[in-house]
Amino acid sequence: MNRQIVHVDLDAFFASVECLLNPSLVGKPLLVGGAPGGRGVVSAASYEARARGVRSAMPMAQALRLCPEAVRVPPRHGTYGHYSRAVMALLAEYTPVVEQVSIDEAFLDLSGTEGLHGPAEDVARAIQGRVQAEHGLPCSLGVATNKLVAKIACSQGKPRGLVVVPPGGEAAFLAPLSIESLWGVGEATGKRLRALGIDTVGDLASWTEASLRSLFGEAGTQLFRAAHGIDESPVSPDRERRSYSHERTFASDESDVAHVRRTILAMSDDLAAQLRRDGTVAQTVRLKLRSRDFTTYTRQVRLEHPTDVADEICSAATALLEENWDRRSLRLVGVGVTDLLGHGGIQLSMFDEGVQRQRRLSQALDGIRARYGHEAITRASLAGNHSGGEDDLEDEP
Amino acid sequence: MKVSCMQANLARGLSVVGRAVATRSTLPVLSNILLSTEESRLKLSATNLEIGINCWIPAKVEREGATTIPARLLSDFVNSLSGEKVDMELIARTQTLHVRCDRSEANIKGIDAQEYPLILVPDEDEPIRIGTDELQQMIDRVAFAAATDESRPVLTGVQAELGPESFTFAAADSYRLSVSSMPLDRGPETQMSVIIPARALQELRRISSDEDSVEVRVAGNRNQIFFHLDSVDLVSQLVEGSFPDYKQIIPQSHNTRTVVSTGEFLKAVRIAAIFARDSANICQIHVAPNGTAGYGRLIVSATSQEHGDNVSELDARVEGPPIDIAFNARYLQEALGVIDTAEVALETRDPTNPGVIRPVGGGDFTHIIMPMQVAR
Repeated sequence: MNRQIVHVDLDAFFASVECLLNPSLVGKPLLVGGAPGGRGVVSAASYEARARGVRSAMPMAQALRLCPEAVRVPPRHGTYGHYSRAVMALLAEYTPVVEQVSIDEAFLDLSGTEGLHGPAEDVARAIQGRVQAEHGLPCSLGVATNKLVAKIACSQGKPRGLVVVPPGGEAAFLAPLSIESLWGVGEATGKRLRALGIDTVGDLASWTEASLRSLFGEAGTQLFRAAHGIDESPVSPDRERRSYSHERTFASDESDVAHVRRTILAMSDDLAAQLRRDGTVAQTVRLKLRSRDFTTYTRQVRLEHPTDVADEICSAATALLEENWDRRSLRLVGVGVTDLLGHGGIQLSMFDEGVQRQRRLSQALDGIRARYGHEAITRASLAGNHSGGEDDLEDEP
Repeated sequence: MKVSCMQANLARGLSVVGRAVATRSTLPVLSNILLSTEESRLKLSATNLEIGINCWIPAKVEREGATTIPARLLSDFVNSLSGEKVDMELIARTQTLHVRCDRSEANIKGIDAQEYPLILVPDEDEPIRIGTDELQQMIDRVAFAAATDESRPVLTGVQAELGPESFTFAAADSYRLSVSSMPLDRGPETQMSVIIPARALQELRRISSDEDSVEVRVAGNRNQIFFHLDSVDLVSQLVEGSFPDYKQIIPQSHNTRTVVSTGEFLKAVRIAAIFARDSANICQIHVAPNGTAGYGRLIVSATSQEHGDNVSELDARVEGPPIDIAFNARYLQEALGVIDTAEVALETRDPTNPGVIRPVGGGDFTHIIMPMQVAR
């Protein structure tokens, strides 16, 4: 029995949301990301900008050289999260087996739902229409018998595409594609493969598993299977989160303690809000620092009691900063939480003060933000320095 | 200074004062122990400026004098000696203490005794006298509930309320509260309240084992408290500030009262703690009446997200409706560990209000633990 896997990917997601909120941007080359003056990078680019050679993660300055007339907007992560959740909720109407891979991507396993919703291809078309009609966002979909092929099919159709690979047609579909389109083939492996005269997936498929193993070890087996379009990995809806983290690359090397602390506070606020939204608490706080010479170190501390309160995350991270920062200029700072306890475990306090009070305050703030938007209210110390500011903030899945 | 004493006495004395030695101090002399002769005794003193301990040991004094010697070095050396008698002589010019025992000898460099802060013990006013057994039991019941982190200094102390006929100790770390009272034969004429560092009381507990009673003096003007034992004085700074009004935290009513065997409950919680280790120590308590009026069971359980779960069932006497409530296993263990009656009562109202633990039929002791919030 073949599986029916659909991969859904929102096209140029951040840029699409910006166009939705400001229709005058529609049709223009649009770049979402930090300012070009410092180290801003492109978080998302509209297809008009991509046509000029702009790519995600490219330095903003370079992107603007390629496309000088592009409009740049700073990212608004809270807003994107809102749209993302709405789309994911729509997907869940078709099957409970939805695995969200990132903010704008998900796999659906439709096996066994034909009786209810019809063939997978029809469901995919319906999803594409509804995401556009109900949320104003374009998306692309790939339909195949496994995740690997569905994802590649989806990327082949972008933007606004719908590519269906019939059962048994996986290898033939992949054969003409360049080897870099396969998962796990990056620059290094790509170079080695091309040196062997392997340019396309079809070239790779003509090699035996044994010879690929002798060249690439365990990875050789993976390459062999991928080349033949074989992938048995399940769509895991309850892929449990093990950690949350945010990091920020500074616009210029940062040595101002106050600014680093504010950055940590802003990230702690976001992490705590995510924890509360997901109804979980964390017991370990992690701090990541990268200095100007790219030395990167991570330190962590286990809290006495698990928490979902920003001040506790912030004070633990700040203490780690005090203990571990040698005051060399920082290029990047990151805060993360791990040791998540999904079933709760908040130790109540007998005095209504400190943490307990902050939790109630935070819950009230969550309510205000849910109704009026993420930027509706913030700490005075962070005013004008919200998380979607000029530095480049990245969410890690 | 030239003095001789028994190795065993010296070793014991050094261990009594040793815990008051400052471990991280900017004042080097505070990591030393002050040795001084007093009539026919050798006095050992140490202080970290929060607590100070004087201890006297029998000695033969040939020449009076005083010096300070690094605490770790002296203790480790004396503890390693196997002879019976220790002879010590100070070479004043170099502040070097020459120590000889059996066929071992050592020269240890000290710091002039003049540099050591004085530990003053007043003896003018009439002391309050408390039986050692009672005092120790009070410390055991209460001091562990004090906070160990310094974010709210008053909570690192034990609130001591001394009255004409009784005394009360209370300590809380925001998550639990321990309160106990005992009668006092000769208390102060007027009620007084002070906050004693929990660490000082724990030290007092450790060194007061051989005595019948302890004399207590409070010097409000110096913000200090003094405990006088036969051959030891302990001085502690009091914690400044006002202790929270704990009486309003003690619930005045409950919905369910559950009585179980203290030993069985403690054992069940200890087992649960093993499984709760990687889940924030969450220990779930389920109380259910079983239809026969007044009887039921108490179920203790814990779940490790990754490794499995555990359930223990206890027979109980239950008054009131069933309840599910979760506590930090460590807090339960520590509280049950100091209940010395065969049975213990757990009084609860609902899953978000504090649980009250009391010994059944023994002593004025109330322990309150705040529950943990868990998804069900």
